Amino acid sequence: MNSAETHILGLFKSEDQAAESIRELAKSPYSLKRTNTPFPSHKIMDALKLKPSKVGLFTLVGGITGFLSGFLLAIFTATRWNLIVSGKPIISLIPFFIVGFEFTILFAVFGNFIGLLTQARLPSFKGLDQYYDPRCSGEYFGVLAACQAGQQDGLKQLFEKQGGEIKEFNETI
Amino acid sequence: MSQLTYAQIDQAIINTLTPPRKSYWLIVFLLFCGVFVGAACWVYQIFIGIGVAGQNNPAAWGTYLINFVFWVGIAHSGTLISAILHLFRAGWRNPIARAAETMTVIAVSIAGLFPFIHLGRVWQVYYMLPYPNQRMLWPNFLSPLVFDVVAISTYLTVSSLFWYTGLLPDLAAVRDRSTGLRRKIFKALSFGWTGAHEQWRHYGRGYLFFAALATPLVISVHSVVSWDFALGIVPGWHTTIFAPYFVAGAIHSGLAMVLTLMIPLRTMFKYENIITMEVLENVAKTIVFTGLIVGFAYGTEYFIAWYSHNSIEIEQFRWRALGDYRWGFYFMVLCNTLLPLLFVFKKVRTTIFALFVISLIVNFGMWWERFVIIVGGVAHGFSPHAWGLYAPTIIEYGIMLGSFSLFFFLFLLFAKHLPSVSMTEMKETAHHE
Amino acid sequence: MSETPKKSVAGSGKAAVFVSIALSTVGIVVFLAGTLGEHPERAWQAYLINFLLWSGIAQGAVLFSAVMHMTKARWTGPLSGLSMAFAGFFPLSFVLFLVLFIGKSYVFPWLHEDLHGKEVWLNLPFLFTRDGVGLLILYGIGFNYLYYALQLKIDPNQPSSGLRALVYKGWKRNNHNTGLIQRQMTIWGGLYILAFTLVLSLIGFDLVMAADPHWISTLFGGYTFVKAFYSGLGALIILAGLSRLRNGEASGLTRNQFHDIGKLFFAFCLLWADFFYVQLIVIWYGNIPEETHYVIARTVTQPWRSLAWTVFGLSFILPFIILINKKIKTVPVAMIVLCAITIIGIWLEHLLLLGPAFSHEPASLPLGLPEVLIFLGFLGLMVISVRRFIRTFPETAAVAARS
Repeated sequence: MNSAETHILGLFKSEDQAAESIRELAKSPYSLKRTNTPFPSHKIMDALKLKPSKVGLFTLVGGITGFLSGFLLAIFTATRWNLIVSGKPIISLIPFFIVGFEFTILFAVFGNFIGLLTQARLPSFKGLDQYYDPRCSGEYFGVLAACQAGQQDGLKQLFEKQGGEIKEFNETI
Repeated sequence: MSQLTYAQIDQAIINTLTPPRKSYWLIVFLLFCGVFVGAACWVYQIFIGIGVAGQNNPAAWGTYLINFVFWVGIAHSGTLISAILHLFRAGWRNPIARAAETMTVIAVSIAGLFPFIHLGRVWQVYYMLPYPNQRMLWPNFLSPLVFDVVAISTYLTVSSLFWYTGLLPDLAAVRDRSTGLRRKIFKALSFGWTGAHEQWRHYGRGYLFFAALATPLVISVHSVVSWDFALGIVPGWHTTIFAPYFVAGAIHSGLAMVLTLMIPLRTMFKYENIITMEVLENVAKTIVFTGLIVGFAYGTEYFIAWYSHNSIEIEQFRWRALGDYRWGFYFMVLCNTLLPLLFVFKKVRTTIFALFVISLIVNFGMWWERFVIIVGGVAHGFSPHAWGLYAPTIIEYGIMLGSFSLFFFLFLLFAKHLPSVSMTEMKETAHHE
Repeated sequence: MSETPKKSVAGSGKAAVFVSIALSTVGIVVFLAGTLGEHPERAWQAYLINFLLWSGIAQGAVLFSAVMHMTKARWTGPLSGLSMAFAGFFPLSFVLFLVLFIGKSYVFPWLHEDLHGKEVWLNLPFLFTRDGVGLLILYGIGFNYLYYALQLKIDPNQPSSGLRALVYKGWKRNNHNTGLIQRQMTIWGGLYILAFTLVLSLIGFDLVMAADPHWISTLFGGYTFVKAFYSGLGALIILAGLSRLRNGEASGLTRNQFHDIGKLFFAFCLLWADFFYVQLIVIWYGNIPEETHYVIARTVTQPWRSLAWTVFGLSFILPFIILINKKIKTVPVAMIVLCAITIIGIWLEHLLLLGPAFSHEPASLPLGLPEVLIFLGFLGLMVISVRRFIRTFPETAAVAARS
């Protein structure tokens, strides 16, 4: 991070104001670092023009792994006891499907959870300790932007024009 | 839903997390005593043997199975509300989703205790797990009981992860309004969540997949539980309708438990404009629906028993309605299908007292349904000379008391220490109106 | 109000009229020829299969409208209206049911069997009475529900006579009171759902399960109505897709609606397969000969075994794999093709369930050109019925409705 950069957080009570300020920032010389919102706002997401998340890939891989593991486990354990029980074949796919199904869901969920954590980079306390305002989980939508030292006033004006409150940070290197 | 501001939502819910009054701790203590009684009974059973319970020949399955199915059933509604209704974008579920999902996690955990309780030699429960051993013995994955192990553990794991993921943004909200030790704890629990757009982007996808995966899981888990009975050839058990019938019954009893929990919660925490009458009404209407499905199953079983002209099947159903346990059958039909029909009338489903009382009645009826099915099946099977009766012993009553106490104990602890309504989802709802 | 300068789905499609009439005529001719030929049982078997399939589609499609109203769903838009159009098939379905009586010795294998006491239930007078009354009640409730639902859509500026006048009079009599009409819709919609489950269960038990009179499955009734809703949804998607292709944006159908109904279709694909599997596992596991002979005949012995796998592939595997993809649900042509294939799969499933009961150990599948032509004939009848309904009530395919 450029040590000459200052960060300023704009806090808006309305997501429309926040979204508008994001669009303004895109046209300005300042750089948008991130937003902090109490819930996912479609307007803000649209203004940010984000790409779709890849969490689904983890889920799918988990699911496929689970499907195969479930069947393999059931088939493996059945072949260890190579005697007919209850008139049913050693390897019976009809009941083993249940094991495969449950493992599919279980491993898909593991994949989903791991995907969510790794992609969202959680747990991580850096963002929390550095540039954050507790009001962002309450009723304010926060927009964090950075500017060169000396340009703070321009950035503050941009935020205030959209109706936002300002929070500056004590920058220490 | 009334137009609440984000600040009002936060305030209403954060206010519930203030240090509780003495009356709260007194109730928690009483419930803990109930748990202790249950635990003591279990310990006694471990030392003396499974014979201190009432199951014997021919009824080898009794209240331990009944309670197992009962608690798994309760759990299913929570997932219905938090996952399935999320997929259907039914906004009315938002105020109750958090508490319902918590109810699920608690109920599954308690249900999971019962297979342990039913084992005589609990210390050998690890035999159920597939691990390489010197005698090269493995679990038999052809057995419905092993399906259960897989299904219930999956359900417990998935529900817990789903519940926790849903909690993350709220834990952050509580952290931001706390100080001192509580702030430190919630900071750690919330994984440093900041509500950054990067986090929300992945979170939204992940949550959707959780819901999409939990939905088939709900259906499969209680189907697997029903197959503990249906895969045998016992008359009254061996019937193809069991899987959807049990799933519908599970949702039925779970919705009733949701009402039983939400109504006092809403009064205590002054959530009247969050958990509105409309929400309670929708739960009541769904109960009518599930009650009718369950009634349809009762009727179909009787019709097919007659149609089959199988004398053993006919005897089982004749005895069910006219034999030693006929009162259970009457409770079952009356409390599960007929009385909930009162919710068809708007006056009934908008009266808090009626909602609460009928919810208790439904749970009472659903417990008796499991009794009728489980005990009825084993007590009155193929061979008349083997017919017998079953009655629970004091140890079983103690353990049952313990399970109910544990449920409310854990729920009360949850209600005062974690946000019992999802602040995030409430804000999303308020925002969309 | 409805916009008029737009081609209705049923509009001036002369080609569609010609083709559907041609198909129906050919189908009827082939059927009659079959009944008078060497193997009348094959013609009547095909008749029964198609009666069940297409009635189920119509009943299931109308159910969509009732369910969406009861759940106060707000995403459906024109889809609820389009689904009502399938009620046009109801009167024809009832007549087709009565015609079954003529072929009674061919469609009821139990007629000549010793039923060991089941004659109380399985006898022609009682069966036709209860099933006929059941269908009358179901269709009657359905029409009454539509009577109210259409009042909310009817455009008084369009010429009205006959049925339209009836609905319009009802609308005026209710003093244009939307709330009152919606309450009536709730009552009759709820009754339709109840009647749907009970009547379709009854039909499933009487006309399909009873073909093998000594076999039982308690879930068979439920399986029948889930199958009907599944195939009804498929038909609705086809109709919606055609409307979108024909009218583009003016159809009022958006990407989101196709996405949502595609998801619902996917869900019922899973539910149908689940209801099938749930019966299979219980019967397979219990291994009781009285139950397993039915399954063995249909999944182990040829030629039915190949048919069983075909049905499984067409109506479960294919939709499952394809519909996991999000985008494909919003491509009308793809969904039309997929749903058509699924419905063909359900048609074959009816053959799978009934076939072994009608022909014991056949050399080959009773599935040839005549059966295909009869299937297409019934398709023609369905198209004619739906078109007539939409022509009578073009508002069902229109965008705007009073809410």
